[in-house]
Amino acid sequence: MPSQDILVIGGGPAGLEAARSIADLGYRAILVEKRDRLGGTPDEAGYAALTPDLRNAEEAMNEMIARVQNNPNVELHLGATVVDAKGQAPDFTVTIKNAKESKQVNVGAVIICTGFQHFDPGRETQKYGYYEFPDVITLVDCEKMLKAHRVVRPSTGEPPERVCFIQCVGSRDRRIGNEYCSKVCCGIASKEAIEIKQQLPNAKVFIFYIDMRMYGYWENEIYWPAQEKYKVNYVKGIATEILQRDGKLLVRGEDTTMRRPFEIPMDLVVLSVGMEPSAGTREMAKIFGLKQNKYKFIETIGGALDTVSTTVPGVFAAGACTGPADLEDSISAAGLAAVKAISTVRQAETVKA
Amino acid sequence: MSSAVESQVLNAFPLDLSQDRYAEVPYEEKARLFEEVKTDIRYHDVLYGCYECGICVAACPSARFYDFSPRVIAQACAREDVELVYTLMNDSIWDCSQCFSCDRCPRGNSPGGLITILREVAVRNGLQSARDALEGYGRIIYKIMSTGTQVSPDMLQPDAFPDWGTHVHEIAENLEVWRRALPPETLHTTDIGWDVDEKTMIELYLIWHMTGVMDMIKEVDEGLFMILQDVMEERLEDAGYDDVTFD
Repeated sequence: MPSQDILVIGGGPAGLEAARSIADLGYRAILVEKRDRLGGTPDEAGYAALTPDLRNAEEAMNEMIARVQNNPNVELHLGATVVDAKGQAPDFTVTIKNAKESKQVNVGAVIICTGFQHFDPGRETQKYGYYEFPDVITLVDCEKMLKAHRVVRPSTGEPPERVCFIQCVGSRDRRIGNEYCSKVCCGIASKEAIEIKQQLPNAKVFIFYIDMRMYGYWENEIYWPAQEKYKVNYVKGIATEILQRDGKLLVRGEDTTMRRPFEIPMDLVVLSVGMEPSAGTREMAKIFGLKQNKYKFIETIGGALDTVSTTVPGVFAAGACTGPADLEDSISAAGLAAVKAISTVRQAETVKA
Repeated sequence: MSSAVESQVLNAFPLDLSQDRYAEVPYEEKARLFEEVKTDIRYHDVLYGCYECGICVAACPSARFYDFSPRVIAQACAREDVELVYTLMNDSIWDCSQCFSCDRCPRGNSPGGLITILREVAVRNGLQSARDALEGYGRIIYKIMSTGTQVSPDMLQPDAFPDWGTHVHEIAENLEVWRRALPPETLHTTDIGWDVDEKTMIELYLIWHMTGVMDMIKEVDEGLFMILQDVMEERLEDAGYDDVTFD
């Protein structure tokens, strides 16, 4: 029978914000998270600081978690996944399974916030030697080192003197199939470059890019300080391959604006990996029968005017499960999805009355 | 031939950015010069960071005639590329006409102002490029610094500026007469452009003395320095400044 409860799938930033918004508006959210703890990718990947304000990521996520954890309007299911869904808005019957048991819940609307996964740089671009050279790492690996305040060359345990970021790894690439821009990597690489310079002031830091996409305030909040205050070297030109020579990594590319090819020795290379739909996102699309785009992100149907409605009425999607999204995008979309989900169950109630 | 508007590529020959030419100069020396540039009090007002957008080159008149790029200069400094900055200091910076059209930079840079600093460091340190670039200007510098005015009529000599045309010879021969034909009496001179007040002249000498301009001249052109020294010290002494020396 029709329900006014709303199911939120995924306990990352978008899911936490959706559940919190539903609860704040006096409705009940059932939040399902497959891990044993909330916080999503920022927690799981061990982010040090958020982009663009460099706020402590753990502290920020804990703040979001605290709003839902002991909230009487939020029913939490940790270590649990959605394995089946039947019915239609406002009367879905959804099966939630944890290690011990399966349970059926009746909900009026669903918000999917299952997010993304980082591109695996060994999958297609093995020219960068991610699995071959220990000193070739990703943005995510770098976050962990920054969080531990221990930025080192994994091969030696020594702090690097020269570090470079290679942008657009797994993004904007027709050969790989990810033709889209992952949107956040320019900002995150610049943010990490600043943090590296804060922790290792004598290190030389380079960012090799195709275009710097520092939209809105990211321009003056991250890009300019990185370049002007921290003297991060932005070089327009993408490395074609990485070789190992004399215990260093040799990065080959073209300095396009200076019109000359380069071969620069580096101690540490950070690959700015982009976003792909997470396994959970693919799975939920299948279970709820949602249309996915060619990259397997969940397709939203309203274009620029409705960023959260899917092809199935009453099922909404928010955050990076719909495509590359930064934290601001995810949180904003989650609030919108909460409003739309509530209006779905309220309309049903009004019609019935 | 297509009727479409053809774009004209200006300066098809790229700047020579290779650093091999100065391989024999120790890195430490190049780093020292760049440090001198960076510690100039104006440096942070003329260079923030570079987008590499090229608006400065687009606005630059010199870039249309020389293999010259204010962008490359700003970029090299912003990247703190010590080798490249040295290369540019030995060549490119002298192609700028210091018109400051490049001040339209969206980042607030002034490549022209940056070049001013680079040139001053080159001159102060007696770089060969500075000597070469200023060689042709010895007469002009002499005129300005000794008389307080710029080009004077007696510099109109066929051998000095051949590009002024064939009629220069004829004019130069009867310069006195031509000048007297000009209505304002102040222009009836041949050795100065116009009269400069004695007090002004003395002040100029003192400024050049106190701000180190004479030291810069000495660094790049010893001969010119000695001539100016004679003129200035004598006139300063007459004005009562017998303690001012340029050594």
